[in-house]
Amino acid sequence: MMEKLRLGVFELTDCGGCALNLLFLYEKFFDVLEFYEITEFHMATSIKEKGPLDIALVTGTVSTQRDLDLLREARNRAKYLIALGTCATHGSLQASVEGRIRDRLERVYGTRANPMKALESKPVTDYVPVDYALPGCPYDKEELFQVLMEIAKGVEPVRKDYPVCLECKLNEYECVFLKRNIPCLGPVTYGGCNAPCVRSGLGCIGCRGPLPGANLPGHVEVLRSLGLDDEEIARKLRTFARWEP
Amino acid sequence: MIIEIGEFTRVEGNGRAEVIVEDGEVRKVKLKIIEGPRFFELLTLGRHFYDVPDLEARICAICYLAHSTASVMAIERAFDVEVPEEIQLLRELGLLGEFLESHALHLYLLAMPDLFGYPDAIRMATRHGELVREGLAIKAFGNYIRELIGGREIHGINVKPGGFGRYPSVRELETIERRSESLIRFARRAASTFASQEPMGAKAELFVATDGYLFGDELVASDGERFHYTEIEEHSLEYSFAKQSLYRGKPFFVGALARLIIKGDQLTPIARKLLEEHWEKLSTGYVTYNNLAQAIELVYALERVAEIARTLLDRGIQGENVPIEVREGEGIGYVEAPRGVLVHHYRIDSGGRVTFSNIITPTAFNHAMIELSLFEEAKRRYGELPEMEFVQRLEEVVRAFDPCISCSVHVVRL
Ligand code: SF4
Ligand code: SF4
Repeated sequence: MMEKLRLGVFELTDCGGCALNLLFLYEKFFDVLEFYEITEFHMATSIKEKGPLDIALVTGTVSTQRDLDLLREARNRAKYLIALGTCATHGSLQASVEGRIRDRLERVYGTRANPMKALESKPVTDYVPVDYALPGCPYDKEELFQVLMEIAKGVEPVRKDYPVCLECKLNEYECVFLKRNIPCLGPVTYGGCNAPCVRSGLGCIGCRGPLPGANLPGHVEVLRSLGLDDEEIARKLRTFARWEP
Repeated sequence: MIIEIGEFTRVEGNGRAEVIVEDGEVRKVKLKIIEGPRFFELLTLGRHFYDVPDLEARICAICYLAHSTASVMAIERAFDVEVPEEIQLLRELGLLGEFLESHALHLYLLAMPDLFGYPDAIRMATRHGELVREGLAIKAFGNYIRELIGGREIHGINVKPGGFGRYPSVRELETIERRSESLIRFARRAASTFASQEPMGAKAELFVATDGYLFGDELVASDGERFHYTEIEEHSLEYSFAKQSLYRGKPFFVGALARLIIKGDQLTPIARKLLEEHWEKLSTGYVTYNNLAQAIELVYALERVAEIARTLLDRGIQGENVPIEVREGEGIGYVEAPRGVLVHHYRIDSGGRVTFSNIITPTAFNHAMIELSLFEEAKRRYGELPEMEFVQRLEEVVRAFDPCISCSVHVVRL
């Protein structure tokens, strides 16, 4: 029998969704276990083996010194590191809050003291080189399954580089913008989720982060034409990524 | 001397504890929430109300629908919008799906390995594969409902002020009715499994819940008082990113055990029978019986889900949203998240922007109670158990609260 790959899951500051989503693979999770041995995954197991790893999945943003230490440790121990979810790849919500950290601490906790060593929230990709970035808030679990299977077979996974829009077309979803004048970030957002929000008749809110090379100025015009003011547009765009329109 | 309990495992988020021992006696326990701050209250300020529920959903993945629903309810109250029964029933359905998903995750994958002496459910599955698979079946069903009502298994955006993006179809409701009935047997087995667990931690003396089973207009305490959450005092700690809450100067408990103790009379038939059967244990107030209480709620949720599906099928779905007229206002949404009372409170200006937001999560309400439970269990066991087992035992106490640490780190008024 072939040797299983050693996999660790490291959760930095986040909502837990990207770690949880792995468990939502259900029966397929057992398929993953055919190829991988999970040596640490703090949400799911009390086992913590410190050895070298073949793969580290890192979720969440670096928001404290503890997060940064843990991230560096994961990077040092792993051959292949996947930044998993929009927190890890783009910063997601907590990184989009404006203002300096001490001011924010004061507004929320009533003190500027920072004994827990909070840092400005930033994505994992700002601190260490990553081998693969899989965005999504949360990422699509089928996509992660594919990626893990490809790596187990020695194939380098390919990153999706088309907008959500394309997936609406493939699924034949009615375009919410053209048909119902609903603001939608689908044309400028990384695809790969299969457009579930548009399936519900709602606009994409951009949870997979900005697609590089998309026609952003054009899309801002479109949003303006729906009556949104510039501040609102900027906030919509900046929800999941620090993205300057 | 300080005994450090390193990062808790098999809980959501990052937390630790310190047991402070002097002269051979446990003097204090500090529960430290070390998850980084996430500033959700700041994040929502200035945002258009329509976007807010989708942002708040991201506070927590395990109970995202509780957050979006509480958020939507607060917004509707601010605008004086009443939704028809159909929309309320569908929201209830979604929340019940979330109970199934969340309780099953906690009971089968996080807590049950303790009962059988395994470090996790993966290893437990080698001997008790049947149980793990039953748990996964319930969890998957809960998520099916979450996806249907919420739009996605995690962080869907289908729950909106005034209604939904998409409404379920007749076929989907039929599936729900059929599948829920076939799962009740599994949930009953979970209840008998957890009924054998030893009592640990503190005996809670005061419980708090919303007045309806899953949501309501105000809070009720086990002493019969009705009140608004503002009666609960919060204070910051220097060793934790989460605040602690006290009601009338005392720690209190929110969650499944609190709901059963306060609202047991609202349960469905099989769940009510289970409650009676285990009442002697549950009424002692030992916090570890929260596990048993969650198992009984699995049965409740499955029965109630079938009831709601039936009702909706009988009367047919209209699928119409209530229009919203924007004006200045203020509203509070009270929802029972799987882990207990969840509060969202906003003020909205005449342009529809949020100017004030306050969120208090169940784990923040339970913070003081968790600390007290650790203290009592530590006093009871210190010197009696070898250190490894001592620490494991304390972790087991923490797990019974099913704490959601990510949620707990933003509990503020702005
Ligand atoms: S990317 Fe989204 S789902 Fe994933 S951890 Fe961050 S907030 Fe949660
Ligand atoms: S449609 Fe947009 S908001 Fe919805 S999951 Fe996809 S990227 Fe995220």
